[in-house]
Amino acid sequence: MNVKKFWIPVVFIILAIFPPFFLSQYWLHVMIISLFYVMMASSWNLIAGFTGQVSFAHAAFSGIGAYVSGMLAVYLGLSPWLGILVGMGVAALLGLGLGYLCIRMGGIYLSLTTLGFSEILRIIITNEDRWTRGTMGLQVPGFFTEYSKASYYYLFLIIAILLLIVIYWIIHSEMGLTFRAVLNDELAASSSGINTIQVRILAFTISSAMAGLAGGLYGHYLMLITPDIPSLGQMFLVLAMAVIGGMGSFVGPILGSFLLEILSEYIRIYGEYHVLIFGLVALSVARFAPEGVIGILGKKWESVWAR
Amino acid sequence: MSEFLMYLTNGIVMGVIHAISAIGVSLIVGIMKVVNFAHGELYIFAGYFSYHLSISLGVPPLLAMPLSVFFIFLVGIGMERTLIRPTYGDEMYSLIITFVLSIVLQNAALLIFGPYPNKPPNLISGATNIFGLYHYGNQRLLSFFISIGILVFIFYLIKKTWFGKSIRAVSQDRGMASLVGVDHYRVNMLSFGLGAALAGTAGVVIAPIFPVTPTGSSAISLTAFVVVVLGGMGSLKGCVVGGLILGMMENLGAAYISTMYRQIFGFIILILVLVFRPWGLFGQKTQ
Repeated sequence: MNVKKFWIPVVFIILAIFPPFFLSQYWLHVMIISLFYVMMASSWNLIAGFTGQVSFAHAAFSGIGAYVSGMLAVYLGLSPWLGILVGMGVAALLGLGLGYLCIRMGGIYLSLTTLGFSEILRIIITNEDRWTRGTMGLQVPGFFTEYSKASYYYLFLIIAILLLIVIYWIIHSEMGLTFRAVLNDELAASSSGINTIQVRILAFTISSAMAGLAGGLYGHYLMLITPDIPSLGQMFLVLAMAVIGGMGSFVGPILGSFLLEILSEYIRIYGEYHVLIFGLVALSVARFAPEGVIGILGKKWESVWAR
Repeated sequence: MSEFLMYLTNGIVMGVIHAISAIGVSLIVGIMKVVNFAHGELYIFAGYFSYHLSISLGVPPLLAMPLSVFFIFLVGIGMERTLIRPTYGDEMYSLIITFVLSIVLQNAALLIFGPYPNKPPNLISGATNIFGLYHYGNQRLLSFFISIGILVFIFYLIKKTWFGKSIRAVSQDRGMASLVGVDHYRVNMLSFGLGAALAGTAGVVIAPIFPVTPTGSSAISLTAFVVVVLGGMGSLKGCVVGGLILGMMENLGAAYISTMYRQIFGFIILILVLVFRPWGLFGQKTQ
């Protein structure tokens, strides 16, 4: 990494320290939610954008993280700090299981099964309301004894940066090279000695674990966990952020998350049209500009950033 | 005993409707390697069209059904032409596009038709006594016979006609098929339309029995996917056998185990198939 490339993220991180000093509580909340989506969309992009596997269970894994950690805190009094790690572990294990079953059969199977997994999880959470409180939502404790949006903002910022560093490291490491080899030409990759299936299962497991961690954080921030967290609607939002921002690029999903979350605050007044609008935009982007906003902004800028 | 037979009959009736819907998915997967995640939404739209044509516009129900199916066929052709064709060879983008489309259509259905189930009029009333064992609704029996007729027609279309032969040629080897003069763009477009029309057919056949709702669409897609994986991707026979198995399991499971978890039986089957026989009952063990 040369000096020029090194300074850009550092400048952004330094700038990211200041928002709590001037933003209102409301916009600070929007920033925290955006950071949650940054974690979600970037980790989804790790599998979809870099290995070409479309998982529809990313929101479901964040729900697993949220419910595991939340229920451990409520019923066993476990500290949320430990709970989110357990939630992340459970998400990783489920990811490993689903990945192992489906990926050897090809990408289509992964998409079908993860979609099924999301639906089943929603049904179980809604029906087992004795434990999950169903659609009423489960009230869970927060991370801090004294509630302050600023502390949550810094917590989300630090973890988002850590996840992004891990993602950046993965896609620029040997492993990332194999990911891209698998994406570009599966046959060539496997004939040059890469175990394409193992690589994909690994990527899927890491990505699911990240979703679990993000979900755990989100649940303890909202302090109310509902079946909306693992819903397909949420999955759609994450997917739309990555697609609109630009899949297969490091910066794309980050940009897409802030863009869509901030935009949705402005078009909230249109209520139910809001999903429809995002859907139509995502559809047009996927159809006409598959590299997303980043692709439109120009490859030059991207090359400074990521390569 | 007669209770058990009735649940079993329900399972068989649902099974043939599952089969029609699953063949719609399987055709498209077999030929184009594309999974249509908007399948359930097309099914729902057809159900609502047949309701509105017959109730709001006064079209006779027997005419409203094929009209709705034809309309969904055109929608399918339009989808293929505008959204799917540019993604050929890129499996990932076709998955993403049809998923986003399913969310768009689901929300559009909520806005256009509202969240309430609408039931088209029955074609027939009353019930028939079956072998002196139990009474069964005539509408369900009629839906069953219509479905059987449609299945026979699909098998004829695919096994006997020139269109069917070109479909099978493209699904076996796209390059060879175009060498011998099959226009695979046309075949793709028509089979996507046919797949959509089959979703629509299942929708109009079931709507008088179980009214459709916009929120039910993902469950419908999922059921079709489970049947396709169970039967073996690309196998028509597999869709029929898989549909019947799932239909019976769901109905007997709902009756004797739990109604809340009707959906879960399908998912359990899916996981079991992936563990023990990932290529499905009639699929080819390739790779």
